[in-house]
Amino acid sequence: MSHLNKMNMQRLLYILIATVMLTACDHNLDLKPVDKLSPENAFNTEKDLQLYANSFYLDLPDGNDIVRGDDLSDYLVGRTPSTYIYGSFGATQATGWSWGALRKVNYFLEHATQAKITAEAMNHYLGLARFFRAWFYFDKIKRFGDVPWYNKALDVNDPELFKPRDPRTLVMDSVLADLDFACANLRSVKDKDASTVTRWVALAFKSRVCLFEGTFRKYQTQLGLGATADKWLDESIKAADDLIKSNQYKLLTTGAADKNYRDLFTLEVPNTTEVLLAAVNSKSLRVFNDANWYWTSATYGGRFSFIKKFINTYLKTDGTPFTAQAGYNNIPFNEEVKDRDLRLKQSIRMGNYTRDGAIAPPDFTYTYSGYMPIKLTVDSKATDGVAENFNSLPIIRYAEVLLNFAEAKAERGTFTPADWDATIALLRKRAGITNTPYPVTADTYLQQNYYPDITNPVLLEIRRERGVELSLEGFRYDDLKRWRAGKLLENQYDGMYVPALNTLIDLNEDGKMDVSFVESIPATKVPGVYYFLIDNVQYKLSGGTSGNLILFSNLQRKYEDYKYFYPIPYNEIILNSNLEQNPGWAN
Amino acid sequence: MCLRHVLGLLLLILPSALFGQTQRTVRGLVTNDKGEQLIGVNIRVKGTSSGTVTGTNGQYQLTVSGNDAILVFSFVGFAEAETPVGERSTINMQLKSSARNLDDIVVVGYGTQKKVNLTGAVDQVGGEVFENRPLTNVTRGLQGVIPNLNIRMTDGKPTRGAEYNVRGTTSIGAGGSALILIDGVPGDPNLVNPNDIASVTVLKDAAAAAIYGARGTFGVILITTKSPAKDKTVVNYSGNFSLNERTIKPKMVTNGYQWAKTFDDAFASWNDYTSHAQKVNSVFPFSLDYLDELKRRNDDPSLPKTDINPATGDYVYYGNTDWLKELYADNNPSMEHNLSVSGSSKNVGYYLSGRYMSQQGIFRYNPDNFKTYNLRARGSVQAFPWLKIENDLSFTQSNYFYPILNHPGNTPVWRRISDEAFPIAMLRNPDGTLTENASIVFGSFISGNNQSELSRMQIRNTSRFTAGLFKNRIHLNGDFTFWRLNDVEKRIYTPVPYSKKPGAMLERGESKLNEDDDKTNYLAANLYADYEQTIGKHYFKGMVGYNYENSKLTSRYIQRDGIINNELPDFSLTNGLNFTLRGGGNEWRTIGGFFRLNYVFDERYLLEVNGRYDGTSKFPQHQQWGFFPSASAGWRVSKEKFWTLPYKVFSDLKLRASYGTLGNGNVNPYQFLESMGVSQAARIINGIRPDYTQHPNVIPAGLTWEKATTLNLGADMVFLDDRLTTTFDWYTRKTKDMFTEGLPLPGVFGASEPKGNYADLDTKGWELSIGWRNKPQGRNAFSYDLRFVLSDNQSTITRYNNPLGLINTYYAGMKVGDIWGFVTEGYYKDQHEIDTRGIDQSFVRVSALNKPLPGDIKFADLNGDGKIDEGAGSLSNPGDRRVIGNTSPRYTYGFNSNMEWKGLFLSLFLQGVGKRDFWPGTDNSLIWGPYNRPYSWQPEDVISNMWSEQNPDAYFPRLRGYTALNSRAELTVPQTKYLQNVAYIRLKNLSLGYNLPARLISRAGMSNMRIYLSGQNLWVWSPMYKHIKTMDPEVIEGADPELASGAGNGMSYPMLKTYTFGINVTFK
Repeated sequence: MSHLNKMNMQRLLYILIATVMLTACDHNLDLKPVDKLSPENAFNTEKDLQLYANSFYLDLPDGNDIVRGDDLSDYLVGRTPSTYIYGSFGATQATGWSWGALRKVNYFLEHATQAKITAEAMNHYLGLARFFRAWFYFDKIKRFGDVPWYNKALDVNDPELFKPRDPRTLVMDSVLADLDFACANLRSVKDKDASTVTRWVALAFKSRVCLFEGTFRKYQTQLGLGATADKWLDESIKAADDLIKSNQYKLLTTGAADKNYRDLFTLEVPNTTEVLLAAVNSKSLRVFNDANWYWTSATYGGRFSFIKKFINTYLKTDGTPFTAQAGYNNIPFNEEVKDRDLRLKQSIRMGNYTRDGAIAPPDFTYTYSGYMPIKLTVDSKATDGVAENFNSLPIIRYAEVLLNFAEAKAERGTFTPADWDATIALLRKRAGITNTPYPVTADTYLQQNYYPDITNPVLLEIRRERGVELSLEGFRYDDLKRWRAGKLLENQYDGMYVPALNTLIDLNEDGKMDVSFVESIPATKVPGVYYFLIDNVQYKLSGGTSGNLILFSNLQRKYEDYKYFYPIPYNEIILNSNLEQNPGWAN
Repeated sequence: MCLRHVLGLLLLILPSALFGQTQRTVRGLVTNDKGEQLIGVNIRVKGTSSGTVTGTNGQYQLTVSGNDAILVFSFVGFAEAETPVGERSTINMQLKSSARNLDDIVVVGYGTQKKVNLTGAVDQVGGEVFENRPLTNVTRGLQGVIPNLNIRMTDGKPTRGAEYNVRGTTSIGAGGSALILIDGVPGDPNLVNPNDIASVTVLKDAAAAAIYGARGTFGVILITTKSPAKDKTVVNYSGNFSLNERTIKPKMVTNGYQWAKTFDDAFASWNDYTSHAQKVNSVFPFSLDYLDELKRRNDDPSLPKTDINPATGDYVYYGNTDWLKELYADNNPSMEHNLSVSGSSKNVGYYLSGRYMSQQGIFRYNPDNFKTYNLRARGSVQAFPWLKIENDLSFTQSNYFYPILNHPGNTPVWRRISDEAFPIAMLRNPDGTLTENASIVFGSFISGNNQSELSRMQIRNTSRFTAGLFKNRIHLNGDFTFWRLNDVEKRIYTPVPYSKKPGAMLERGESKLNEDDDKTNYLAANLYADYEQTIGKHYFKGMVGYNYENSKLTSRYIQRDGIINNELPDFSLTNGLNFTLRGGGNEWRTIGGFFRLNYVFDERYLLEVNGRYDGTSKFPQHQQWGFFPSASAGWRVSKEKFWTLPYKVFSDLKLRASYGTLGNGNVNPYQFLESMGVSQAARIINGIRPDYTQHPNVIPAGLTWEKATTLNLGADMVFLDDRLTTTFDWYTRKTKDMFTEGLPLPGVFGASEPKGNYADLDTKGWELSIGWRNKPQGRNAFSYDLRFVLSDNQSTITRYNNPLGLINTYYAGMKVGDIWGFVTEGYYKDQHEIDTRGIDQSFVRVSALNKPLPGDIKFADLNGDGKIDEGAGSLSNPGDRRVIGNTSPRYTYGFNSNMEWKGLFLSLFLQGVGKRDFWPGTDNSLIWGPYNRPYSWQPEDVISNMWSEQNPDAYFPRLRGYTALNSRAELTVPQTKYLQNVAYIRLKNLSLGYNLPARLISRAGMSNMRIYLSGQNLWVWSPMYKHIKTMDPEVIEGADPELASGAGNGMSYPMLKTYTFGINVTFK
């Protein structure tokens, strides 16, 4: 090869190298994510805001949350009492001090205004965000009492991270301002899917929040806020009234009298005649709850059942209290459930209740007291052992709004017989109660067993109604808090009446024996009968050899006044020395 | 006249001018041990700079002064020889081939180096480590062969790769494993044909790895593939056939009645003996009546094992089912075929190879199936005398079919068997349909169409050139690589049919299809030049280069419910409303400029300086670039004049030291940007599950490089005429500014604290390798070599944001891997002791009502407060816990021995870990049996070793179900007694073979033919086996990671034992 050729080839090589380095290699090191949005491009159109706002809904309770909503309540007995009232519970066990949902809302409020959209649309989305901020703070205030108020997404160096708690009044006034903004600006088209927050949902929620705050201030007198209670009750009345007057919703009464109530909980598609907002479940989209597994397993759920003291509050169909009759505690199960408020047969297994076409009496495999809940479960057994229930569960329904309205008015002293007819009487009529007069005498059973300080007969009946109508929907502990009735959590756990030991009992009058309460398991057993061992430790009978089941009286439960406020988690107190623990809780 | 000649002349003249001794000429012939002339042998006068080399006929001529001179003969591949000149004027020398010859050239970053000149911590093994072993991938073959190349094979799945760790914990922040390069370009070792590998080199310290900058922070593995054979054509075929079986076959109770009694006891004992189970886990009905009936049928085996419940019409089972026997095939075959053709002529060389490997899986029904195909074509052309162009193309296709369960959460089959496959249950009903329990466990294997189909495909091409420029003084190298990797996993789920009563079929599970498709396009270019010059005793080498890499990943995930026809699982044939379509991906780019300078003085003093200026797209703009230098030095003590030890005793001693700092660029891309992902909500809004986005992560302020600084001290020693070689290295590596959690902020912050450069780590360790080689020539001689490697490392956290001193996370002073736990004191002897012990142990639960009984565990009250608890969980108040062990493997070792005699060869490879603790963890039913869940497996080792009044010294306490599952239960809390010692020793490979004599095979045109039998993993022992032998000591890290790694330790694909017959034929 000639020298010239070699030189040419080498030049060619250099040129090649230079070309490769200049073209094939992109020297820009500022690469951006290809599959993520950034704050600059995520808040420009209404669609952008909708995309972000969808995330707010993740903080609403889902089906499983609702199923577990009443785990801590006075009317359920389960396998083990909540650790909050049994055993040792302190700041190191405390949870719930999570603030991600608030950052989400505040970040949105700080950025949404960069979108170039109509004022109506902008206000709708701001209203949506503020609704969820109110939802967030309502939850926190119920749990912890005073909490710090923030209306911005905090920076790492913000000194406000370490501020003390703000007074309840400041926080709740801010919540009210948020709710008022939401009610004024959210779109008012009724959601036929019960899955989004509209003006109507905001009004209903406002009636709930304000009733809570008004009664809480009224009865939790140690706060010294009693004088401000009326303002909140008035706000509750106003919000409920706006919603009632809008005629957007009414009670579901179009189906069979003994089905209307339970249909609100057991169907896949929420019935938006009554339901404003639901945790929507769906078989085809595979969004499920675990109600059946939770309530029909000896080990998976809490194995909860109602106690008799609560079942006693269900009226008879003629409108008279069940407890008005003598010896109301000594009536066998099959008898006592007859001629009762139709909500009873839609809440527990009794009578001709069937599953997959077969008669299904209360099953002591899963119940302790005999009053085995069915309100949130479906009758098919297909999902008994798997978290695949697809019945949608209400978060807000119209019946609650009626109850809020009635109670706020009654507390305010402005409740009239006409109000009664427009609220409580409607609920009772739907429940098949034929006689629903305006109450004039205080029910002594309720007074003696539940609310000794209440003398107003109407208020007592409203509280009865609220307990029965909203049972298992997660309202109970909040109600006990605002009524200052937490002591009820120490209720003796009682169950159905047992006429005699070692006797076979037919609970649903189908001719087949279902259970026998025994002191020792007999050698020969009748097939299909559950032998319930009365060991006189965990399980007793009130009269020794007969009487009401007395359950777990060996487990000491304690509810003291300081428990109305949940402890702040121990680590938070350490991290922020300005944060004071709720009184009564040791660090 | 050029400068070089002047200098050379000066150096030649100087000594005689200074000492003025009499000059005379010595000449002679240098040959090898067969008497053949050796060309190019280096001859020098010891202690001087004068010397020469032998010419084309092996002759040399040299001027020496005086009779005291000593000549030193050295030549690559031969042992150094010395002889005094004395009166002689003709000195012929026969050189013996050196045992060290294979190691003489070591691959280093962007080049090769003579081993004697190495100053960094570098270790290299040849392709022989992969020989005579059937290997599903390269990673499995590298375990244990190089000290402190730490590879943990956590199960026996054929697709199992592993992280390549060099020298212990790297970073608890960004993490980082070793950079793996295949012929100089990053790649996936598991996609390389093990038969194509010529050598594997590990660059361990900063100085050796510095040339790779931020990507080589935690070591570099250089895999070099085979080059074309020289001047001839070589055809090689190797093939092997194997049978595989499990290394450990746990013995479980399979008698139904015995099992059910223990189950009932375990259930009742947790419930304080107040109640009995109504079901065995989720669906199998149970009662004491059933137990009685089971006993009757057990006592009278003539009674049927299946019956019908008259009340419900459902089947009732009284089985004695050995579910593991049903799950696993007795053994599973595998095979491998490899063919390569290689050769070269004057200007052209080529290497072509192809491999097929398949392994049938371990399951009896619908077994897994692994297949891999490798193809490599490599060619080189000497285009001009100064320019060589090479191209290397490889293609790999790897498929894995794996049956899965149709169960939410993709539970691995072992977990489900442990939870739902009871001996009393049965696989099939009398009519042949599956039972309900079978449908829950591996019914999906039997019904089929429930599987994962994995496909990995790579195409990779590297083009490179080498040019000798400026009269071949400068070598310019360039390469350009294109690599495309496509990983696709398709999963098919179809409902499993089963029956609970005659004539009625039911189904369980979902019907859905999903596919995960990841495509990576990778480009890399390197350009580097070196210059080498020797001036007398001074040797210089300089290298400078440039590197560019760009990688882009594109992902796609699709899922849809409702397969219309189970036999046709295609997305066109699905009609479910529930579907997902997701994209995604990322891109990163690095650019680097680097240099290396070597200087050697008189073969005695070695110095190397490296540096790299690195830029990466993973950091914000002002932090993108970093410069990382390092330096190393060596001293060949045995070359000093004062070194008088005879070569036959102490042949060589070299001391090395290196120091350097490298940045760690392993962080995930885009960590410094506020980004908002879009996901599908789990909630239904307006009839669909809509997408949503939300507030971005809070970004770290001033994110910068993590830095690792390594100090390495090493010594290489050679004894006994090169037969015994030892290398020892000690190092400390400080990883600073690790990318970890910021100081904890109050919860009101509402987001995770942004990470930052907040933590430091200190890793110390050492490694030792000792080799012995005795390789006499000739077929009939007995030759053997041994190699033992041992290494250790330990890491301590020196800075971490943990102001509360919590012990459930890192804290300054913590040794990485520490296990905190209680101290087991023994069992309660009797009720009296329980009543009078006076220590409140209620924190640890023994039963639902937490009432201790004799045989329950007593814990030591370490802090003497009369109470057993966890205190505040902090260093200042850990309750009654202390550090009871450490999970890091220590003293990992390997021992390799090869022997050859008259064509017979025997090789043996042992590998193991010297020290390691393991807490079995919850849901480890292999160790806990019914203590985990009452209905779990019942290993015979456990059942025979449970506390009872007759057996008060048993290893396990009173049988209590759920105590190894529920929180704070007596076997859930880590504690001294049940901490397992999982040190182990494993016979990784034992091969026996025969190389047929040449006279037999040459007629068939073969130059070499070998047949062998070999066994992998034939034997394993661990101190854990003193109590229980149900786990392989390596299969302890979680459950099957492709399915659900949290499903319990050991719930993974078993480690396999392999018996192989192989053949290897070479034609030349």
